[in-house]
Amino acid sequence: MTLTVPTRKPPTTGTPVFSVDGLWKVFGPKADRIPADPELSTLSPADLRSRTGCTAAVRDVSFDVCKGEVFVVMGLSGSGKSTLVRCLTRLIEPTAGTIAIDGEDVRAMDKARLRELRRHRAAMVFQHFGLLPHRTVLDNVAYGLEIQGVGKSERRERAAEFVAKVGLEGMEKRRPGQLSGGQRQRVGLARALAVDPEVLLFDEPFSALDPLIRRDMQDEVTRLHREEGRTMVFITHDLAEALKLGDRIALMRDGRVVQLGTPEEIVSSPADDYVREFVRDVPREQVVTCRTAMRPASPQEATDGPAVRPDAPVAEAIEAVAHAGTPARVMDEGTCVGVVDHEQLLDVVAGVPAGSRVGRATPPAPRTSPEDV
Amino acid sequence: MATLTVPTPRTVPVLKSRAAAKLLLLALAAAVLVPPLNSHWGGGAWPHALTVDLSKPLASASDWVIDNRDSHPLFLYFFGYISNAVVLSVRAVYLTLLAAGWTGVTAFGALVAWRVAGVRLAAGTALAFLTCGALGMWVPTMQTLALMVVAVLASVAVGAVLGLAAGLSDRLNRALRPVLDTMQVLPAFAYLLPVVLVFGIGVPAAVLATVVYAAPPMARLTALGLRGADPEVLEAVESLGATAPQRLLTARIPLARKELLLGLNQTIMMALSMAVIASVIGAGGLGDRVYQALASVDVGAALAAGIPLVLLAVVLDRVTAAAADGTRAGDRPRTIGWPYALAVTVAVALGARLLGRLDWPAGWTLGIAEPVNRAVDWMTAHLYSGVPVVGGTADWAGHFTTWILDPVRSGLQWLPWWAVLLVVAALAWLIGTWRTALTAVLAMAAIGVLGVWEPSLDTLSQVLAAVAVTLVLGFAAGIAAARSDRVERALRPVLDVFQTMPQFVYLIPVVALFGVGRAPAVAAAVVYALPAVVRITAQGLRQVDPAALESARSLGASGRQQLWQVQLPLAKRSLLLAVNQGVVLVLAVVIIGGLVGGGALGYDVAFGLAQGDLATGLVAGAAIVCLGLMLDRVTQPTERHAKKGA
Repeated sequence: MTLTVPTRKPPTTGTPVFSVDGLWKVFGPKADRIPADPELSTLSPADLRSRTGCTAAVRDVSFDVCKGEVFVVMGLSGSGKSTLVRCLTRLIEPTAGTIAIDGEDVRAMDKARLRELRRHRAAMVFQHFGLLPHRTVLDNVAYGLEIQGVGKSERRERAAEFVAKVGLEGMEKRRPGQLSGGQRQRVGLARALAVDPEVLLFDEPFSALDPLIRRDMQDEVTRLHREEGRTMVFITHDLAEALKLGDRIALMRDGRVVQLGTPEEIVSSPADDYVREFVRDVPREQVVTCRTAMRPASPQEATDGPAVRPDAPVAEAIEAVAHAGTPARVMDEGTCVGVVDHEQLLDVVAGVPAGSRVGRATPPAPRTSPEDV
Repeated sequence: MATLTVPTPRTVPVLKSRAAAKLLLLALAAAVLVPPLNSHWGGGAWPHALTVDLSKPLASASDWVIDNRDSHPLFLYFFGYISNAVVLSVRAVYLTLLAAGWTGVTAFGALVAWRVAGVRLAAGTALAFLTCGALGMWVPTMQTLALMVVAVLASVAVGAVLGLAAGLSDRLNRALRPVLDTMQVLPAFAYLLPVVLVFGIGVPAAVLATVVYAAPPMARLTALGLRGADPEVLEAVESLGATAPQRLLTARIPLARKELLLGLNQTIMMALSMAVIASVIGAGGLGDRVYQALASVDVGAALAAGIPLVLLAVVLDRVTAAAADGTRAGDRPRTIGWPYALAVTVAVALGARLLGRLDWPAGWTLGIAEPVNRAVDWMTAHLYSGVPVVGGTADWAGHFTTWILDPVRSGLQWLPWWAVLLVVAALAWLIGTWRTALTAVLAMAAIGVLGVWEPSLDTLSQVLAAVAVTLVLGFAAGIAAARSDRVERALRPVLDVFQTMPQFVYLIPVVALFGVGRAPAVAAAVVYALPAVVRITAQGLRQVDPAALESARSLGASGRQQLWQVQLPLAKRSLLLAVNQGVVLVLAVVIIGGLVGGGALGYDVAFGLAQGDLATGLVAGAAIVCLGLMLDRVTQPTERHAKKGA
């Protein structure tokens, strides 16, 4: 498995698009009492169910989604991630907590305002596509505009544009039943894009697709994000997908966010054993960057040896070091900020946590001089 | 071998013990209750002391209705309007059909068939209409068609509204569902009397009885379609910000299109069936011709009216079924637009009018009554009895009556009344839940209370005999069809035709073969119920998990072992459903058999209608309802109930 980690920009500061704070969703009888009750809210899922008959799908979740980022929520089935994304536009009514979109309280919205939010500001792409089987591709893509009351010729014109954008030219007259899974999801994507939403919400959009098609679709999403810079919230149970697409990842378990961070942070410093177990098989050298792996350079190292970018994955440095036989310099805009040599690189590959080995924090001992290689 | 019956061994002991517990409990209850009951009221037929004579109040109620029909505001301002509206609309449709002439109607029918179902069905439709004309039945056919059009439109409207309500509201669904389920299992005959009580004999009563009978399938399927919509599609629609009306119009209704059209199909078929039966209460048209002919045992005339009925049924079924199927192939080649179809029809009708050919030409009719009656006479003379070795058809009917029907009937009537209730309770509880058992026992007791214990047991004996024959033949044919593709291919068209025919039509051939009496009624019931039983059995056997069957084969099970140890046990639920359907369908026709000498409850209803003695008829009708309920509940598998709760 290869993971190509795109260059990541640091999350933009400023007002977040979505700001979620202390969000709860509890299913079951008298669900309201559970978030408020400190005794009940700390129970484990099994205890909660046996005590109250309720299931807490989302438990006290808080995060911000910044403008222009791809925010991935990842977790196994039953971890509450799909419920979470539905709470964002109140397709599922949250039990407690606050959700704000551009500073506006979503839970306080009345029906009309909520409809406006769904029509113009957040559009969703579904796992099983959710297409209308009796409509053509073009009319499916135009459906969101139709709901908004856009005239027939105008919405068809705009829909045709998005059908082309997702690469389905010439299929406008087909029906969903005549398309392959990947093509159907392209229609779903075009339908969401056609309403020009501020945020795109993806609910495990590619889980139902074959691996090859899935990779195509992931590349498509990456391309769209690069071209349009649209904010995306992406739900997935596939770690590789999360690492590939996400600027930041929220890892969920039993309704809680157990770790929130960049892919590199999650892979290189798992918050607990669950996350560690989760990321164990990830090819770390593809995710961890040289900036994280490097150690300070000694003066003579700073002037020679191959150069790598700080945000290049460790895999690149491994290649460089293997070819040159010397430590590689991590060069940021012409200055050397550190070096990586066999030791750091092997640590990354072996998954040895930073600082866990004796002497790790100190500059390299003489025994690791390049001549020994 | 142990692996073959994997699902059963674990459940069997549980089931057995549970069944034993149920029986034990019942036996205990019987031991406590029966001695006092028996000593108090005796052990023969239903005790007279426990009956309530309803005939007086019913008679006075019907008298009151008759007296007040022209004066009471309820009739003047409510039922009167309904009645007038029905009469006017039937009249209007009838006149339109006559104005279009036979050419216009045939052309329109063919064009509609072409539009929704293609060339072959268009030709078939045209041929069917022309045959109706050729048999000299054009006017009765149009009468039936006019009644049908009005009844179907009303049924669809009523059914769609109820279905919409049940589809959108959980509470209404819970309330409506048991009612619709129950209405579905009641014999058509039971619906006749209440409407006659209110509207008197005539077209309005016929139309309304038809609507009451035909609306439930539309309501059920509409609700089913609306509820069955893919939840993710609905969620997607909602996520785009659709309002509730938008959701309904752009997603839920289009998604339910197949079910809606299937509902239309079923409603049309049930309406046709009922429109024919309603000839007993003044529907006129083809059904009336059949009814009159059967009353005078004129098989030729009955057949001349029966053939158009069958053709009408087949054409209507195929065309509407094709419309429902056609939704999947969205881009089927366009044939002809609706405006063109209408224009062609008008042109053809006008052309015929100008040529003075509006009525079916008298010279073109084919009198089949004569030759058919000659053939029947020949059959009577040669086949009825005295055929060497096999005996004759009348002999068979006689033997069936004396050797099977009579012993069953006297056996049932000999049983103490409490024993009948006990048997009903035991059967219903073993197959279903205590709830179904309670309903069944109460329904059976109600029959006793109504004072029609003896005729009901007579009807029951016919039903039991017919069900036994139906199940033996049906399971055999079903197993054959499930095990051999060739048999299934051969059976399918036969089953298709037989399942679409109106119940009434089945009486014609049996009267020709067996004369009148109880045996022909049973024979008609068997023929009517057989297709459904065969079909459900075959389907159930074919749907058995292929992996289980394959593993049995891989272990070297013989064909017989596969059937008995894998297919039949795994298809148990389908087999029970087949029994349930068989019982319900058999009852419907056994009741109608009262018209051809079946006697018992069906005769009471017909007699009540013919003599204007509504009290007798209503009591018999209520007993039919109770019998239908009891038989349905006794054979209702637990699973069906469990599914309902979910």
